[in-house]
Amino acid sequence: MAFTIVSQGTFTQPATAVNQIIPLPSGADYFVTTNLTQMATTQGTGRVVRGEWYGGGLTAVNDGLRWKKTNSTSAINIDKFSTSTASNGFTYVTSFPAPQAALTGTTITQANGAVASVTNTYSEGDTVVIYNAVGMEQISGMTFTISSVTGSQFTLLGLDSSGFAAAATAFSVRRVNQFTPVEPSFLYVTKVSQAVGAQVTVSQANSVYLGQKLEFTVPASFGMVQLNNFYQPQSKPIVVTSIVDAYNFTINIDTTNYTAFAFPASSGSPTVQLFATVAPAGQSTQFNPITGVQTGYNFTNIPFHTGIFIPYMYVPAGAQSPGGSAADVIVWQAYKMETGTINAPVPS
Amino acid sequence: MTFSTGITGIQNMAPELPVQASEDLLSTPMFNLIHSFGVDLHHAESYIGKTTRMSRFERLSTDGGQLDGSGIDPAAEVPVRTDIDATMEIYAKSIVTNEQVVLWENSKTLTKFTALLGQWLREKEDLLMRDLFASSVSYINATGGLNGDQPSNISLNDVNNIENILLGNDARSMLTSLEATLKFATGGVRDAFIALANTNLAADLQKVQGVLLKSAYPTQEGIRPEEYCSISRFRFFVSSKAARTPGISLKGNTVYTIPMYGLEAAAKIEQNNYTAVIGYRPPWVVSAVAQNSQLYAKFAIARAITNQNWISGLNVTTFQPS
Repeated sequence: MAFTIVSQGTFTQPATAVNQIIPLPSGADYFVTTNLTQMATTQGTGRVVRGEWYGGGLTAVNDGLRWKKTNSTSAINIDKFSTSTASNGFTYVTSFPAPQAALTGTTITQANGAVASVTNTYSEGDTVVIYNAVGMEQISGMTFTISSVTGSQFTLLGLDSSGFAAAATAFSVRRVNQFTPVEPSFLYVTKVSQAVGAQVTVSQANSVYLGQKLEFTVPASFGMVQLNNFYQPQSKPIVVTSIVDAYNFTINIDTTNYTAFAFPASSGSPTVQLFATVAPAGQSTQFNPITGVQTGYNFTNIPFHTGIFIPYMYVPAGAQSPGGSAADVIVWQAYKMETGTINAPVPS
Repeated sequence: MTFSTGITGIQNMAPELPVQASEDLLSTPMFNLIHSFGVDLHHAESYIGKTTRMSRFERLSTDGGQLDGSGIDPAAEVPVRTDIDATMEIYAKSIVTNEQVVLWENSKTLTKFTALLGQWLREKEDLLMRDLFASSVSYINATGGLNGDQPSNISLNDVNNIENILLGNDARSMLTSLEATLKFATGGVRDAFIALANTNLAADLQKVQGVLLKSAYPTQEGIRPEEYCSISRFRFFVSSKAARTPGISLKGNTVYTIPMYGLEAAAKIEQNNYTAVIGYRPPWVVSAVAQNSQLYAKFAIARAITNQNWISGLNVTTFQPS
């Protein structure tokens, strides 16, 4: 058989629908989603109930065929996701994605949880790189997880810019992949407290694990150079002792008498050294023979591994998108020519 | 007087086979493989899981330790072990050939495709190691260049800064020194750390103060073709596939990542019997009518940064935007 289903599955959107990444080990020449939940209902505003994607370059990025119920009835209209009013469609990803096209923003506030204003179509939890942040160049080039996303702004919970000299008056931003090609990855450090069991803040969410060992790289421009490994007793890696929240964790280091951690001034760029970073250095596995408890073991996230399976289909969430909205049950199927491509099928 | 034009020439008597294959295939393009040769090679056994653990004891404290004659023993020290884990992953590629190709169009396809798959094996492995370096290591932005970008183009000060970091962390150099000879316009090269750069940086590397291009090494014997130059304590190897991220510098230019490291900084772990597997599935297996045969290649690999102290590197841009 020359054209066959190679994989299929279902997913149910959580209360806040999220974009789906569906690994496709054999690739795909045709991909289809069916929204079982919306097939059984009629909505005041018609929903997309089926999406189709064709390979071989026939479907543009972020596009595909959109089967949409008309308002308040089950009658179907078919057009493309890119047709007015446009909505997000399929993106088939065959190599590690480069940063997306740049958007130009207007301001980044001075706040604990800085707010960046930019017209965007980003989603909650996306990862972005901000650069050319005029007035806030000390963060230019850093990667952030974004939250509280609206079409006009998002929040950088991993950045406390309240101590900066000024707000950013313009900036550029690109969305990048949430994961690096290999995980765990290095992270940008945005704050370190001066305390027994110092608390560290990083710019990306949910990237550090209990028991993980870390090595800091803190340029002199950030102050707290004592965190650098060659200042540590016996050059031992630093250990994560607790996870405070998505962006914060504590370490087994007393930084009370260390130089205060602080971003350099924006005016120092481009000659000031950037950035303060932390890199994965293994894990601290321990066994208590009395209690029989092992700590520090993490066979899922801490071992070095591929960050994201490629190729995959990116299925965006949304009432007018193939991923559906809250609580929707979606069936997906990927078809593949056994040999050849959709443009050059072999005789069968 | 004219004659009839019944001349039999090249216009109507072209060869019956209008094309012929030259005596050999042209070269298949292949990029420089620079990301594996400087790492440690480890081996994983079968039947005991897909996670390989590499462990290191951290050195003991040198504080105190003096006996004071009282008979009281100094406190014992609990050794600290650091475990670095890596997950084994398998990668594979296959080529399906229809019998009509061999019957009518081409010869020795299995030989040709085997060579292609072999090249894929090494190229894929190289890129996987590149991704490890690009993802899981801390880099310092170059600031000593004069292009006004953040990071700047590479400079001697930036290279020396990384040497300071590695030496401060007791990293060991990897490449042995090349002793100076009496050859004109050549100089000795110290024992060195490794630096891996994109070929787009070649012009900038040539301009770094104190650069010693490979042609000026005292000997070319045993020097890898991928090597480009020596700067300070680093010998630079270049590849068109070395890491870069487009459009994220302060000025929106491409940022290149240069891993710089010494001994035992990173590891590649092979699974026994899965280092490089190339196989053939005959037509009567692949196809119901025995028309398609298949060649495949696969390999297993795990990768890890085994000591972050002994690896660092630079983020740079080019002097001219690229």
